[in-house]
Amino acid sequence: MVGRRILFAALLLGAQVVAGTSGTASAETTLKVWTISWDDVAMSGFKQMIADYEATHPGIHVEEESRGTDEHKAAMRVAINSSAGPDIYYMWGGLGLGGEFANAGASAPLDAAYAQYKWDDRFLPSALGDSRRYKAPQRHGVPFLVHGEGLYYNKALFKRAGITAPPTTYAELTADADKLKAAGIAPIVFGGSVNWHLMRLMDELLETECGAAKHDALTSMQANWATEPCATASFTQMKHWADDYTLKPFMGLADDQAQGLFYAGRAAMILEGDWFVHMIQAHTDISNFGLFLFPTGTGRLYFFSEYFYVSARSQNKAAATAFLDFITSPAEQQKHLGQFGSTSVDKGIDYNGRTQPLDMQWNRTLASTTGTFVNGDQAFPLDVTTEYWRIINAVAIDTMQPAAASAAMQSFIANRHH
Amino acid sequence: MPALASGAPKPGRLGAPWQAVILLGPALLAYGVFAVLPFLDVIRLSVMRWDGLSPHAAFIGLANFRFIFTEDAVFWTAFGNSVIWTLLSVAIPPAIGFALALGLNQKLRGRNALRAMFYLPVIIAPIAVATMWRWMYDPFFGIVNSLLTDAGLQRLIQDWLGDRRVALYAVFVAYVWQTAGFAMVLFLAGLSNVSPTLLEAARLDGANRAQCFRHVTLPALGSTITVVIVLSLINSFRTFDIVYGMTHGGPAQSTQLLAFWAYTQSMQLHDFGHGSAIAVVLLAVTALVVIPYLRWTQRREDAA
Repeated sequence: MVGRRILFAALLLGAQVVAGTSGTASAETTLKVWTISWDDVAMSGFKQMIADYEATHPGIHVEEESRGTDEHKAAMRVAINSSAGPDIYYMWGGLGLGGEFANAGASAPLDAAYAQYKWDDRFLPSALGDSRRYKAPQRHGVPFLVHGEGLYYNKALFKRAGITAPPTTYAELTADADKLKAAGIAPIVFGGSVNWHLMRLMDELLETECGAAKHDALTSMQANWATEPCATASFTQMKHWADDYTLKPFMGLADDQAQGLFYAGRAAMILEGDWFVHMIQAHTDISNFGLFLFPTGTGRLYFFSEYFYVSARSQNKAAATAFLDFITSPAEQQKHLGQFGSTSVDKGIDYNGRTQPLDMQWNRTLASTTGTFVNGDQAFPLDVTTEYWRIINAVAIDTMQPAAASAAMQSFIANRHH
Repeated sequence: MPALASGAPKPGRLGAPWQAVILLGPALLAYGVFAVLPFLDVIRLSVMRWDGLSPHAAFIGLANFRFIFTEDAVFWTAFGNSVIWTLLSVAIPPAIGFALALGLNQKLRGRNALRAMFYLPVIIAPIAVATMWRWMYDPFFGIVNSLLTDAGLQRLIQDWLGDRRVALYAVFVAYVWQTAGFAMVLFLAGLSNVSPTLLEAARLDGANRAQCFRHVTLPALGSTITVVIVLSLINSFRTFDIVYGMTHGGPAQSTQLLAFWAYTQSMQLHDFGHGSAIAVVLLAVTALVVIPYLRWTQRREDAA
């Protein structure tokens, strides 16, 4: 009898615990946010944003999970068909990665949220570009980070070669590269073993040789690479840079090795993004370095963005967009300025506290940019990116001629079965 | 006693078949779930089109195989590299391991320390080995080119991982460094089974060292050699991480191997049909090489 009483009491207690738990669950909305593992500063900034949000939004609990880049992509692939996935996920903008998930139905269209929160007024025009890459009226994702890329240069080496000002046209750039070479200085350095480093040069050359419209048509695979003369001209120029202007040997170098050579003054230029300012600062005296945009002649910025998307399977879409509105609000962006990148995605941010000239140069550039073109690996689907890399490298190591490279690119695109 | 003699279990005890089931069951279950099922799934996916995102995969017959054989610009490079890699892997690490084992089977001072030293690379994660060798091969600051310079051999300096003519072999050197110790340990185990009595008898019969080796040691190592070669073959076919870490298949896919290309297609490009088709080809090639070799060695051993 005593045993039965104990059992009954235990059941009653258990029922109360369950009831209490479920009562709590029904009162609190949990938002699951999946990101990549940023560096410590950015992660701690993001956690602070979450804490700020939870403090001002009782009843909302934000659960953040971060993974390595490849692990994040793999987890997202598994999650896309599962109800156990996130409410909000991080992904790069552009059609290469963010677009692949959005086009596969992983992302919820956010047209209503864009109108509700007036996001088109909040964000820089350059940051918004990737949200508009889908068939109207579908807008996908909310910009969180923007990155511009340009040519960093060693002032002392430029001076030694007799270059007094950064070039403003492509002809001037190659003339300066010739001057550097004549002075016994390697004009530029790339890490050829990471495919995307040399790809940046090819992307810039396509913009230079083809102009904005044709470049976009080529990267969206609407134009024919084999018959478009500017595609072959771009490969020809890339071969010229690889043969004549790049510090050799470079195909066995990774990006960090190439960067080390640049810090050490072994090459005059390197094609890097806004994040490189802090990398230079961490390694050497940054006052020895300057920055200019690759003079493509189109006025567009070489650029990519990073977004947060609301999952199509989320049961908390309204709460998810409200959270994204909060973390991209001018107040939060101002509070966490510099923790995620040099430049905020918002208009009207006060950068007056900044003292680093190169950071300020990026702020001005990104704030004034209206037209952008994205990195090849953001523009192409993954399989085309891999072939693009193979062809670029093959041209660089002289196993493929420029005309054959254009033909190979078109052949691969034509034979795709997806 | 009669009960034991007849093989019947004592009352209350399980019989041998049940004991076997209990002992093997968990392992068989794990093997089935984590090896056999994925293996069958790869074969299924090789005739499907699936990007890892869509809820359903579409059956497309042999189209994936047709693609990799006729349209994939990298497949045949990877295939050729895999053949070269396998031939080198079967010959060089076992030969070095054998030589080390013969040397370290002698009564030397510090031989246990030497054995541990030569075995050490085996227990280092391949990705760590790759990173270490990548820095050693750095064309500007790496120790390899520095040593060549110090030795006055500047003409031999290379862009070890960036020159398509040498990159595959440069990666292979790192692979040899890591794997020779494994063959050494297997050969040492085999050498410990060579009968000292037989060796002594051969010497008494007037055999010299070479003859003792040829007619006593080598035949006694027959099964060890088979194991080493089969393991070298299988490991070489599935080589992946060291290439991933050192060249990522480059430059221009010139160091690509079948296992890595299958991984790239499936896990990086998310084309599970192509990736699985390449994995099936790899499986077929492995089976075509390993099974006849095992049967041949089995027949030789039976005949002996």
